[in-house]
Amino acid sequence: MISGLTIGALIALMCGLDRVAILQVMVSRPIVAAPLTAFLLGEPLVGLQIGVMVELLWLARLPVGAAVPPDDTQVAIGSSALAIILAQRLDTSGIELILLCLLVAVLLGKVGQYFDHFARQHNVRLAKQVDDALERGSLLRAELQHLRGLGSFSLAAIVTYATIMTGGLLLVPLLLPLVQQPLSYSSSWVQLALPLVGIAVILGTINVSRAITLFCASFGMSFLLMWLV
Amino acid sequence: MCLFWHVIFADVAGVKMTTIPRKTRLYIWFRLLLLQASWNFERFQGVGFFYALLPGLRKLYRKEKLLEVSKRYTGYFNTHVYLAPMVAGAVLKLEEERAAGTSEPQVEIADFKEMVAAPYAAIGDALFWGGLRPLVAGIALFFAVKGIFWAPVIFVVAYNLVPAWFRTVFFVHGYRRGMRSVEFIQQHKLPDWAIHTKEAAVVVLGGLSAFMVFSHLTQQQLPSWLGMLTLIPMVMLGLVARKGVSTVLLIFITVGSIFLLGVFWVDMTKLITLLGMEL
Repeated sequence: MISGLTIGALIALMCGLDRVAILQVMVSRPIVAAPLTAFLLGEPLVGLQIGVMVELLWLARLPVGAAVPPDDTQVAIGSSALAIILAQRLDTSGIELILLCLLVAVLLGKVGQYFDHFARQHNVRLAKQVDDALERGSLLRAELQHLRGLGSFSLAAIVTYATIMTGGLLLVPLLLPLVQQPLSYSSSWVQLALPLVGIAVILGTINVSRAITLFCASFGMSFLLMWLV
Repeated sequence: MCLFWHVIFADVAGVKMTTIPRKTRLYIWFRLLLLQASWNFERFQGVGFFYALLPGLRKLYRKEKLLEVSKRYTGYFNTHVYLAPMVAGAVLKLEEERAAGTSEPQVEIADFKEMVAAPYAAIGDALFWGGLRPLVAGIALFFAVKGIFWAPVIFVVAYNLVPAWFRTVFFVHGYRRGMRSVEFIQQHKLPDWAIHTKEAAVVVLGGLSAFMVFSHLTQQQLPSWLGMLTLIPMVMLGLVARKGVSTVLLIFITVGSIFLLGVFWVDMTKLITLLGMEL
């Protein structure tokens, strides 16, 4: 379990930094982060399933200006790690456990937005320290202040991951016996519904004229083709 | 004689008589990958922009002049992260011209930086975050839904081809053209591309939804035509989302409804079976 948590934490750190602070090569997207976590924990299929469900949920929330979108990266990593670790600990498996871990992570992941907010607020101090360093004539110190910002974002990523993992490890074993059986009746439908909710949100918020017409036409044509072929 | 005078004068004024070497420009390009390391609510990418440009400024200025110029770059700056290299390239060119004294910029460099940052941010947000990302995610999800483990690799490679091109080519053109780099953006009609990419994303997501619904109904051995009914709740959810309802709330309402329907359906089936047996 410790090794699983550590691997998850390392991916949470790496992907958390890619999200805002460095590169932005999109390894932080759930479709990448969740399968990567699950692959390193030995269950790639779990990560792929979670990646499909989470990827589109908050894709419509753009990181524009001062807006801080929900931390879907840590939700994806946390739910993948939780599902795999708890499957071993509780000696159970199946989509019900994955769904429960994901729903708990979605709720707990909300705090990630606040930690991200704190990190950005903390970095205001660094900007002032850059001014001080330049006043003193030290360019090197000014450069280092910028790099210290990576620490704030790293901390925000790790704390969000730790919150999801701690909450998940406490809540999921309590909730699973209560909901496993009833959830099994509808688990495959929930698995289908989550990406569709994400697509619906994108459809509602994307700034394209006649988006609904285009979507319905594409849906209808694809559906008809699959039906006929 | 003139060159000798310029070298002496430049040294006295704290200005180096040089251009920015290619190696330094490459170093700046790499530093731009860390543009948002100290992103904050007061100056956004301001400190990061200063951090990226510093190696170039070091080649152009020295001592007090270097500190004075550096201070101009630590203020507010915010643009799209993939288009920032173009602004950086253009600013470097302008600083180079000013340091060499070859021409005085028509607009102050700081003003130019501010003028282009906001429009570039708007273009970049629409093109990359609003268009390209959903489009490539939709394509990669087709592979993921089919259970192909390479789906994440397909996403990362396909997505990054475009930003990598923008980050590199636009930085080079920004440096070559200086203030005229704005024309380069205009030539490429990026706002039009943003709209086309978004439209393509909507079409791909429509196809993806149909594919997921059709596959699920086939697995459940249910009539395929039922899938067309999916459009009703999806359009309704889309309209609700447009009103600003939180995604988390929509998730829990949807999951809760399906969960309750599932339980209700099983209970009803049991009841009908029980009544049928008694009858």
